[in-house]
Amino acid sequence: MARSAVMRPPVLAEPGAGVYNEKLGIWVFLGSEVMFFTALIGAYIILRTAHPGAWQEPGEMLNVPITAFNTFLLICSSVTMVKAFAAIQEGRQKHLTLWLLATVLIGASFVGVQAYEYAELIHKGFVPSEGLYGSTFYTMTGFHGFHVSVGVLCLIFVTFRAWRGGYTAEDHRGVEVIGLYWHFVDLVWIILFTIVYLI
Amino acid sequence: MTTPRAGTAAPHVGDLHPHDAVHDHEPSFLRKYIFATDHKIIGIQFLIMSLAFLLVGGALAMMIRWQLGYPGQAMPGGTVLPETMAPGGVIAPEFYNSLVTMHGTFMVFFAIMPLLVGVFGNYLIPLKIGAPDMAFPRLNMASFWIAVPAGIIMIFGFFAEGGHAGAGWTAYAPLSASPEHSGVSLGQQLWCVSLIVLGLSSILGATNYITTIINMRAPGMTWFRLPLSIWALFVTAVLVLLAIPILSGAVIMLLFDQTIGTHFFLRAGEPLLWQHLFWYFGHPEVYILILPAFGMVSDIIANGSRKPIFGYNSMVFAILAIAFLGWIVWGHHMFQSGMNPTLGTSFMISTMLIAVPSAIKVFNWLGTLWQGNIRFTVPMLHACAFVSMFVIGGLSGVFMASTPVDIFIHDTYFIVAHLHYVLFGGSLFAIFAGITYWYPKMFGRMMSRRWGLIHFWLTFVAYNLVFFPMHNLGLGGHMRRIYDPNQYEFLQPLQGLNEMISISAFVLFTAQLIFAANFILSWFKGEKAPMNPWEDNSLEWTVPSPPPHGNFAATPVVYRGPYEYSSPEVEQDFLPQTLRLPTDRPPAAASAGD
Amino acid sequence: MDATTPATPAAPPADEPVHHPSYIGVWFGLAFLTAIELGVAFLPWAKITIILILVGLAVWKALLVALYYMHLRYEPTRLRVLAMAPLPLALILVVAVIMEYR
Repeated sequence: MARSAVMRPPVLAEPGAGVYNEKLGIWVFLGSEVMFFTALIGAYIILRTAHPGAWQEPGEMLNVPITAFNTFLLICSSVTMVKAFAAIQEGRQKHLTLWLLATVLIGASFVGVQAYEYAELIHKGFVPSEGLYGSTFYTMTGFHGFHVSVGVLCLIFVTFRAWRGGYTAEDHRGVEVIGLYWHFVDLVWIILFTIVYLI
Repeated sequence: MTTPRAGTAAPHVGDLHPHDAVHDHEPSFLRKYIFATDHKIIGIQFLIMSLAFLLVGGALAMMIRWQLGYPGQAMPGGTVLPETMAPGGVIAPEFYNSLVTMHGTFMVFFAIMPLLVGVFGNYLIPLKIGAPDMAFPRLNMASFWIAVPAGIIMIFGFFAEGGHAGAGWTAYAPLSASPEHSGVSLGQQLWCVSLIVLGLSSILGATNYITTIINMRAPGMTWFRLPLSIWALFVTAVLVLLAIPILSGAVIMLLFDQTIGTHFFLRAGEPLLWQHLFWYFGHPEVYILILPAFGMVSDIIANGSRKPIFGYNSMVFAILAIAFLGWIVWGHHMFQSGMNPTLGTSFMISTMLIAVPSAIKVFNWLGTLWQGNIRFTVPMLHACAFVSMFVIGGLSGVFMASTPVDIFIHDTYFIVAHLHYVLFGGSLFAIFAGITYWYPKMFGRMMSRRWGLIHFWLTFVAYNLVFFPMHNLGLGGHMRRIYDPNQYEFLQPLQGLNEMISISAFVLFTAQLIFAANFILSWFKGEKAPMNPWEDNSLEWTVPSPPPHGNFAATPVVYRGPYEYSSPEVEQDFLPQTLRLPTDRPPAAASAGD
Repeated sequence: MDATTPATPAAPPADEPVHHPSYIGVWFGLAFLTAIELGVAFLPWAKITIILILVGLAVWKALLVALYYMHLRYEPTRLRVLAMAPLPLALILVVAVIMEYR
């Protein structure tokens, strides 16, 4: 099914990025998010290089099995998200709504599991003020979790709109835009899981 | 009224109500002027906000100068301040620390940055590229309305118990992270929160500018036909996009150290990490504060000389070179920090290198002026002053780039002189030039030329009397941010210089009231402005002053660059970008639309 | 990385083809790589070796997401360059400051 003019690069304009404005915009914004996580993750890498003794071995303090499962969950939500996008590309609005709903539920579960993980750690006495380890752990995973939560809220809005028939094969910009944000959040977690939990 | 065109076609995803191609309803006052989505109104909103903060920053500077000129003496009117700030009207040392901190903070984040990027970025970009508005008008509105609470929070800091932030605008840890050193707690936290909020505003704005310039240029407006002001704003937006998040991250970590006991820069942490993070942001930040000025000055000087800008291509490459190199020089703010000396040497080399593209630009401005048919308008005077003052500021920069020299002059008044030569002599003069130049387009009135000239000359003279002697102070060992230099015997002979600087500063501040009066009164009584008072080639001068919502009645078509002054092809000494000559062929994009 | 991702473009509709790979294929790839990571992390090898392998695997997974789920593989080159632009900056900061502490 043909995408309408709004999903192609602007017509009466000099050639630009080759994509429509909203898609270009979200990619540009994600560039800033890369730099934001660079500051947090970079600080972690630097502090850990300077004071390696302040950290424990993988699995000693942090719960790797639960987090590995959580990682798997988030990856699944990326699949449901991209399936949602593929569905609306072919105009299948019902499938769009269902796949989006699945993404919301899985995303919310991720946050839930993380909250549970935090509660367990705090109970064990591992808090943000617990040296460099605690400081960096909570800041990185906390801000990632914050980004996931914002993503879930936006996804709820998009799902509701999809349910009302707001997206078509001709125009589903909002789905693509939130999809890109959501995959990015997954991508950051892929990095975080490895360097925070496994190293 | 407006026909559907690039980026404004029918329903937008996320619209709460469909956007009609034809406006048959007038928006309410609230939607038109307060929660405006029109980039021109938002630009003016930023203008009013930033000028107010410029005044605040200037007033803080006056208090600093009072203490330095007349140390320990009661300030006239000082008794209105609370006892915690100025007991008996005498500025307290802790309050002095907040004064220098907040002067820097307000000037950098709430005056210069929003003036250059928020005002001129918003106002000029869509007009100069031939677009009806920004790519995301409502995001644009959000940008402004997020900046406002950031400003309010920063003001609130003055009322915090323990006083406002007092660790310098650079907020070095551990001083900024722990109240046990400074006595300041809530104030510094509010400083952090304010900057986090402002950062979001800036990032959203940058996203908008970048998308707009890449995707919404009118047919024929190729990259190398863009006015240099737009090139500069584009590159600046990229710097904002990528550098501000670093500051956000660093400030969040600082806030956590202050509030929830984390160890980033304190306790088990690394104070030097703060410096690296801050300056990794901070150096691109200073290019954010100057590049738009470069761009506007280029436009104004070409126009005032009635000549094409000399070396347009090299001007573009110089902007790009400055933006690239700007990421690898940050250590030159840290030569005294005890960092790895090898790292220090590489920073010295890259810093020396970055002087080259700036110098290329200076020579190109001179080349533009050379044998030009110069019109000494008020904007032109400010633009020429910019060039000479920026050269002075740039030259002092070369001294500072050399690590062995910087070891002696770091954190002295030599640095204060340098930064004010580039930020005031540079950015602020460019801002005065830009406001005067685009005021007619914004408000439909000309500013008074006579009062513009008086303001310019008073400012130019007083400004040099204030800041040039600071080079001498610095070389004499006068350190920065110091409350009472007379406590050191070797500084006592410099007190006379300090007093002279202070008196000149009071004159300088008063002169700005002339600009303020000119700005306000011209809106009511200024001569009505024609469509193109400066006989400029760029697109904004082809629409009424002020332009209507949607800017252009039909998508403009561009046939040439913006600097065709004194072209042999036409009799008049300017040749607008959109004027079609018999020899011009339409650009490919004009008939695009599969 | 293409071993796990056979590209299967959908049948092109009226105006232009809609590219997409096997999303489930990519999912398997991600799950598989994650499992390897979990294995490697607890091996009794030199720390630096483990770090290099894990980071490499993480980057591979990130690329899979970026190229296939975020469709960068099928986007205009200009957009791909734009998307990758912040990465060198991230590298500069971390590498330069690590030099302080080695």
